[in-house]
Amino acid sequence: MTVTPEFQGTHLWDRLCWAKENLDGVQSDYRVVYEDSLDECAKILVPDPNWMACALQGGILPPVEVYWELAKDEAEEGFTKHTRGYLLHNTKPVDAMTEEQAIEYLIMKDVPQSVWRVWNEGNKPKMVICHKEQLPGTREWRNAWKITEELGVTDLAA
Amino acid sequence: MAFGTLKADTLTHSTAGSLATNFVVEGSSKSWMLLNGTGTIALGDSLNITSVTDQGTGHYKPNLTSAFGSTNYSVCSGNNERGVGESNYDTASRMEVICRDSSFNAADANRVSATADGDLA
Repeated sequence: MTVTPEFQGTHLWDRLCWAKENLDGVQSDYRVVYEDSLDECAKILVPDPNWMACALQGGILPPVEVYWELAKDEAEEGFTKHTRGYLLHNTKPVDAMTEEQAIEYLIMKDVPQSVWRVWNEGNKPKMVICHKEQLPGTREWRNAWKITEELGVTDLAA
Repeated sequence: MAFGTLKADTLTHSTAGSLATNFVVEGSSKSWMLLNGTGTIALGDSLNITSVTDQGTGHYKPNLTSAFGSTNYSVCSGNNERGVGESNYDTASRMEVICRDSSFNAADANRVSATADGDLA
């Protein structure tokens, strides 16, 4: 079993290079479907295999809250440059996750907060976690894909 | 760090001259990806990518694990089917890639690649 070096204080990019060299990618079957605009089709979040390997390994990725802090900085008026990048590198890395925990982390990092914080409020869910086999096999009508209004919470794949 | 570290400011060749190592560090690609943008899209291989958001036909947003220091970074993309497209930053931690057909309509491609260069946060 590959042992993760002590990475706190190491630049995150160097950790990813280590992972690329030492870990095999993990293809996840999970997909996250979400809608962040009434006028646009549903978006689909696809996990990266090398990132998933890092998440399952543990000791590599920073806590997701670090990304929220950087996003706050970037949303400030007059933002030109990140001055708190050290948060990515100096914050204690998170322990190994299960694949399901990794998907939750991914949602909180890469899906807009306006979607995942209120995903089940309103007339229909704004977000669905599913397996890739549940998505249409052809992309002919990709720009028309929407989350169905009939979808109940009990129908959601966990 | 548990693995070996070589610290040097300059690399010198016996006849070809010298190179400052900051050219190597700053000039290396900080992120790249290869994805199949047809069917149920999937990433083939990558570096410094967390996920890709499938935005619609021919439209993808790769999310970065280690963010750039600002939005002043360079993105370059291509695909094997049409060779026409756009690539740009969306934020310091998210790129944007659009593949287009010969009529300049957004179109899926089965081998979409992108790379990004710049200074990381």
